Amino acid sequence: MNAMGFAWRSLVRQPARASLGVLGVAAVGALLFDMLLLSQGLVISMRGLLERTGFDLRVTATDALPGSGPLIPDAVADARAIATLPSVRSAIALRFANAVVLDGSARGLYTSFQGVEGTATHPWTILQGRDIGGGAEVVINENAATRLHAGPGARIMLRASCTNEEQALPPVAFTVAGIAQFPFDTLNGTTVAASLAQLGEACGGNESSEADVIMVASQESAGPDAAVADVAKLLPGLRVLSNAEAVNRFERGGFTYFRQISTVLTTVTLAFAVLLITVLLTVSINQRLGEIAALRALGFSRWRVVADVFCESVLIVGGGGLLSLPLGGLLAVGLDGILKRIPGIPADVHFFVFQPSALQLHLLLLAATAVIAALYPIRIVARLPIAATLRDEVVG
Amino acid sequence: MVLRRLFVTLIAAALATAALHASDDLPSILISRQLSESEHLDIGDVVRLSAGEAGSAVQQFRVAGVYEPTPNPARLGAVIREVQLHLPDLLKLTREAGTPAGSEYVQTINVALVDPRDADAFSRDVQARMPGVQAQPATGAAESTGPFLVLRRFHLAIAIVTIVASTVFLLALTIMLVDERRAAVGVLRLIGLPIRRIIVQLFIEGALIATVGSLFGLVLSLVSEGLINRFFQWRYDTALTFVRVTPEVAATCVAIAVPLGVSATVVASWALLRRNGLRLVRR
Repeated sequence: MNAMGFAWRSLVRQPARASLGVLGVAAVGALLFDMLLLSQGLVISMRGLLERTGFDLRVTATDALPGSGPLIPDAVADARAIATLPSVRSAIALRFANAVVLDGSARGLYTSFQGVEGTATHPWTILQGRDIGGGAEVVINENAATRLHAGPGARIMLRASCTNEEQALPPVAFTVAGIAQFPFDTLNGTTVAASLAQLGEACGGNESSEADVIMVASQESAGPDAAVADVAKLLPGLRVLSNAEAVNRFERGGFTYFRQISTVLTTVTLAFAVLLITVLLTVSINQRLGEIAALRALGFSRWRVVADVFCESVLIVGGGGLLSLPLGGLLAVGLDGILKRIPGIPADVHFFVFQPSALQLHLLLLAATAVIAALYPIRIVARLPIAATLRDEVVG
Repeated sequence: MVLRRLFVTLIAAALATAALHASDDLPSILISRQLSESEHLDIGDVVRLSAGEAGSAVQQFRVAGVYEPTPNPARLGAVIREVQLHLPDLLKLTREAGTPAGSEYVQTINVALVDPRDADAFSRDVQARMPGVQAQPATGAAESTGPFLVLRRFHLAIAIVTIVASTVFLLALTIMLVDERRAAVGVLRLIGLPIRRIIVQLFIEGALIATVGSLFGLVLSLVSEGLINRFFQWRYDTALTFVRVTPEVAATCVAIAVPLGVSATVVASWALLRRNGLRLVRR
C-alpha cells in the first residue's frame, strides 16, 4: 500500500475528526478564495464595463471624473474634429445633469439626465421602442419606466438641474421614444437621456454645445494609444485618457481599500489555516506515536512514515480545498450582493470576479499550507525513537 | 472643485513665495499638512491664491497654521490638499465681477448646540421652520449613510464565516483532546464518579480554557488593532481609525467565544461518556 492509500485509511478510521478537519479547511479556503477574487475583482469588472461601452478614450476638461469637473466649452465642435482624425472611428459628446420628472407626486422622480451628440451610436442599448430622433424625445431606463409607469410613446414633463447651484428652470415636455439599458446605471438608479441639444434646451438654452466628456472609439488598425496621441495633439487643452489609464487611476483611488482588506484577510486566513491544521495533525500524530513506532519496528522506513504524515496533510487540505471552491462561489455571490448596495456602484460592476489566476494562486497557497502545516508533525515522526516509544507504550 | 482650482494656482504661487514682500496685514489662511509637505510651505509664508484656473484676480494670504484634516472615509486614498480661508475672504476671492457682496450662498452651516442632546429636536425644528433646508445631527451621520452600513454588513458576513470555520476546527480539536483523555475518564468512571460529576468537571475545564483563549484573543486583537491602523494610516496618509476594539466589541467576542468553547467541549465529551467505563480504559 502506498503512502497516499495508507494516509487515506488513517483518516477514514476516524471519520469524525477527519470530516471536521476537511470542513474547517473548506470554510477557511472559501474565505481565502473570496479574498483572492476580491483583490482584483472590482478593477477587472470596471475594465470590462469600460470596454463593453465600445469607446476606448475619454476626453475631459480637467483630471476630475466626468460629471464632477468643469464642462468642455465647445464639446460638439471638438467631438466632430476628433472624429475626423485617421486614428479615430467615432466620437460623441456626453453631458450629465439631473432632473426631476413631474409624475404627480409631491417631490417628483429625481433622476440623472444625459445628453449626447456625435457620430457614434449612442452609449446605451435599446430594450423596447426605438432610439431618440431629432425632436423632443428621450429614452429612459427600466427603473424609470417602472416608477413612472411610462413606456414608448408616453409624454413626460421634467425640470432639469444643470449646475451645482439652486435653479428653478421651467419644466419641459418630452416623448419617451424607448426604454434603454445604460452601462453605468446603478441598481436602483433612474436615467433619462436625450440629445445634447434637447438637454441644453432643458437647461435654459445657453449651453447646448458644452459637455462633461467626449467619448472616442479608436480605429482598430490604429489602436487606443495612437488615438490618445492624436487627440492630445489636436486638443492640447483637454485631458485624454485611454481605458487602461482610466482603470489605472481607478485602481489607485479609494477602492484600493478592498484590495488592502483582501490582503490582510488573506494573510490572517492563511495563518489561521496553517496553525489549525498543524495542531490537528500534531495532536493526531501524538495519539498514534506507539502505532508509528510499531510500523517503524516492522520495517517502515523513516521517509515512509514522513510521507504518510505529509499525505494526511495533503488529503485534509486537498479535500477541504476542493470543497472550498463551490462554497467560495456561493459565498462570493452573497458578499457581492451586500457590497453592491454601496450607493453609486453601477449594477454591472462586481466586487468578486472569477479569474484563472485567482484559482491558480488559491491552489498554490493551499499547497503551501499543506506543506507548512505538515512540517512540525513530520519532524516529530522523523525523530521518533522507536525502542523508547514502544517501551513507553507498553509500560504506560 | 473650488479647492482643486485653488491648489492648481497655489503651486505656481508657492514657487514665487521668496520674492514676495509680505506685510502683516495680509489675511490669514490654514493649510493642510499634506499641502504643507508637498509644497514645502510653512507658517508665516505668503502665498497667492486665485479662484480661476488661469490665475486671474490673485490675492495674497499669509499661512497662519498647518492642520491635520478631519479624517473622512469618503475621501480615502485622496491626497487632501486643502486651504481654509475665513468665509469673507473666500467669498471675496470667488465672487464674480458684477456680483454684489452678500448675494453669495454657502453649502453648509455647522451649528454647535448648548446641549448636544438637543440635536434631534433641533434638526426637526429647523426642517419644520425652513422647508428645503436639510438639518441632520452630526453624531451618527456617518453611520447612517449607505457605504458605511454596507461595509458594516460586509464585515459582519466575513465575521460569521470566520466563526463557522473556527467552530468546526474547535470541535475537531476538542474531539481529539477528549479522546486523548479517554483512559483517564474511564478510570474516573470505574472508581465511581457519576457521569454528571465528570461532565461538570469537563464543563469547568472547557469554560476555563475558553475564557483564557478569549482573553488571549482580545490581547491579540488589541495588538493587531494598532498594527492594522498604523498600516492603513500609512498607506492612505490619513488619521482615520480603521479598527477599534471597543468594550462592546470585546464583550460580544467573549460572549460568542466562551459559550462556543464550552459547547464544543461538552458536545465532544458526550459521545465518550456514553461508553462503558471498561471500554474506555481498554487498550
